[in-house]
Amino acid sequence: MKLFRISTFVTLIALALAACGGAPAAQPTAAPAAEQPTTAPAAVQPAAPATSDKAVVTFWFEPSDVGGNTACVIDAVIAPFNAQSTSIMVEAVPQPNLWDATRTALAGGSGPDIVVTPGPSFAFELVQADQLLALDDLAQQFNWGDMFVPWALNLGKVNGKLYSVPNEFETLVLYYNKTLFEKNGWAVPQTMDELMALSAKIKEAGVIPFAHSNAEWRPTNEWFVGTFFNRIAGPASVYAALKGEKSWTDPEFARAVDMLTRMQTEGYFMGGLDRYYTATGDERYAAFGNGAAAMNIEGTWAMGVEAGSMPSFFGQAAGNENDWDWIPIPSTKAGEAIFDIGIGSTYSIARTAKNPQAAAEFLTFFFSPATQARLLKDCGSAPAPVRLEADALDGIDPRKAQILEAMGKSSDAGTYGYTTWTFWPPKSDVYIYEEIEKVWAGDMTAQQYLEGLQTLFTEELKAGDIPPIPER
Amino acid sequence: MAHTQPTGVAGVQARAAPRRRRFSQRAIVAWLFMLPILVLFALVVIGPSIAAVFYSFTDWSGIGKAEWVGLANYQKLFFQDLSFRKAFSNNIIWMIIFLIIPVTLALFAAGVLAPVRRGGMMFRAALFIPYLLPTVIVAQIWRNLLSPTQGIGALLANWGIAGFDRAFLGLSQTALYAIAFVNNWQWWGFLMVLFLAAMQNIPRELYDAARIDGASRLDEFRYVTLPGIMPTLVFMLLMTAIWSFLIFDYVWILTQGGPAGSSEVLGTLVYKNAFNRFEAGYASAIGLTMSALAGLMIVIFIMLRRRGWEI
Repeated sequence: MKLFRISTFVTLIALALAACGGAPAAQPTAAPAAEQPTTAPAAVQPAAPATSDKAVVTFWFEPSDVGGNTACVIDAVIAPFNAQSTSIMVEAVPQPNLWDATRTALAGGSGPDIVVTPGPSFAFELVQADQLLALDDLAQQFNWGDMFVPWALNLGKVNGKLYSVPNEFETLVLYYNKTLFEKNGWAVPQTMDELMALSAKIKEAGVIPFAHSNAEWRPTNEWFVGTFFNRIAGPASVYAALKGEKSWTDPEFARAVDMLTRMQTEGYFMGGLDRYYTATGDERYAAFGNGAAAMNIEGTWAMGVEAGSMPSFFGQAAGNENDWDWIPIPSTKAGEAIFDIGIGSTYSIARTAKNPQAAAEFLTFFFSPATQARLLKDCGSAPAPVRLEADALDGIDPRKAQILEAMGKSSDAGTYGYTTWTFWPPKSDVYIYEEIEKVWAGDMTAQQYLEGLQTLFTEELKAGDIPPIPER
Repeated sequence: MAHTQPTGVAGVQARAAPRRRRFSQRAIVAWLFMLPILVLFALVVIGPSIAAVFYSFTDWSGIGKAEWVGLANYQKLFFQDLSFRKAFSNNIIWMIIFLIIPVTLALFAAGVLAPVRRGGMMFRAALFIPYLLPTVIVAQIWRNLLSPTQGIGALLANWGIAGFDRAFLGLSQTALYAIAFVNNWQWWGFLMVLFLAAMQNIPRELYDAARIDGASRLDEFRYVTLPGIMPTLVFMLLMTAIWSFLIFDYVWILTQGGPAGSSEVLGTLVYKNAFNRFEAGYASAIGLTMSALAGLMIVIFIMLRRRGWEI
């Protein structure tokens, strides 16, 4: 009987703790967890009050995606839509930690009508959970095929049906401190071998070759793994491996991992692994801006317009005379410009949406070239892969305009590569950025790393968990 | 007419009946008062707990339907997953650190501060203040202080004291210990206040008697203070052991388990599996294992009490 009482008590405590174990915030201190938003803030309903004869569409958006400027997305998208629509009212809710909040709400049977995810692989999970509506008929009705670039809608297809449309078309480029390069007479590299040689030369000069760190975003590692896969092995090999027609253990992928590891162990990234793991975003941008570091491989998101973005660390306002520029990340062949396709978020309609037609009308407005141009100019947001009009790039930083133009040409020509967060299935993606640190630490060889990736990828391939990939 | 009271067994039963009615009415009222919290408890603790047990036997992405896989998650956890072993061993190291360092510091500080009458409150408040700061703030403060270019190490290096201008959070060999140091900085002041409160409940006569017997300060601490605060001390040791398996926040904010998994703990492993890898079923299995470990601590505590330990 005593034993029964003890075991009952222990079971109850264990069950109670299991509930805590499921949640990430268990702690031996009194402070609350930092990231637990589940309650939506008050909705923003600009331009016109909701009336009973208007169909209401709920839309949650991430404030940080618009440079922290919540008002911007309201002014650029929501207010104009509500003002011009006589039959639809969009209730927009700025929702920090949008994905966590959306997923929790959907699992609980609620959530917004417009479902925003951090990328195609996340939308794919929602499709498997039967949370999203197939959009094929609506896409046809609203001519989305004409609005987006050719490959874009294929990214949202699962088993031949369209469930999501891509937003925030992004890529990775090589930024460099132009003033520092000119002062030292360094030529921008044309190939990967030249990049390695230049890095050694820069290090010899007492300058950090790359202003890289992952302290504030651990998945930063995957930018480089993906970049080296696409540049050393080539996009065609990556495509074949993603289709399951080639193994990740093939020598070209091993060479890519080896070269990246050499860069890390030589201390090219922020001066050494310890600094790579601890330098904050401000520290690395400051080093890049003031000339303590020479280059930076990063996405187009780095060219934001807000304080704290990379450009804000250059020039007189930042206390230096330096300027930056960019080139495509070199590959094995000189003059080959590969731009890896990255999708920052996807938009879908929830299966539970009361008025899918109204939601689709809002999406048509959101992804229209005019609205995307406003988001680009006013909010600094990366545009969706839509056919922007000729004047859409007027008034933005010409370097940013050049990148967007080059990305567009690359996507039209089919010479693009693949970012890991867009095209790899979730477990393989996490493996790529978590386990690579063991290779850099010397706890694992490149071959062992790739064997682990191949095993996991094969499992996900068999389970049908691979995100959609456009035909090459 | 005189009112006659029933006597004997019948009388006792007759008198007990209204008392039982009164008792049952009081019990109903009491249960009614408890009902809201019981419902809440069932909804937010019992329900999710049972769900967690169920999901630990399934392949579940965290959204949608779960597929029953029996013991496969536990098989993977105990026999295949090297990350789990690493995280578990880190939790053990964490527990050992927190059972020794903050407890020793807190006992020492409480022992020193207990007899202090003038200015004692100021010291207590100063040592307790870190506990009042939010975890995120403390982590950010120490992230800056531990920076090899801008923190304490850089300052010491400028003064000619080398060896501390290293990125302790970025080195596999030191990351876990650096995080434990930061958490301990916040935690030990709270322990000290608890021990201090317990010490103040020890009758002064015991100290007077010890002094008359010729006890030194160390003897007083050993033979009077420690036995006097033993229930508090053991309870806090128990709770520290349990909490050590639930640590998440500092690790997540400062290193997210890196570099190269060197500071991975069970809490961060649960998070990564549930929310990054979409393996919520497997994450539930890890969560339940954490709970089982906590349950084991509680069993030990209860057994010791039953054996007569005054804890």
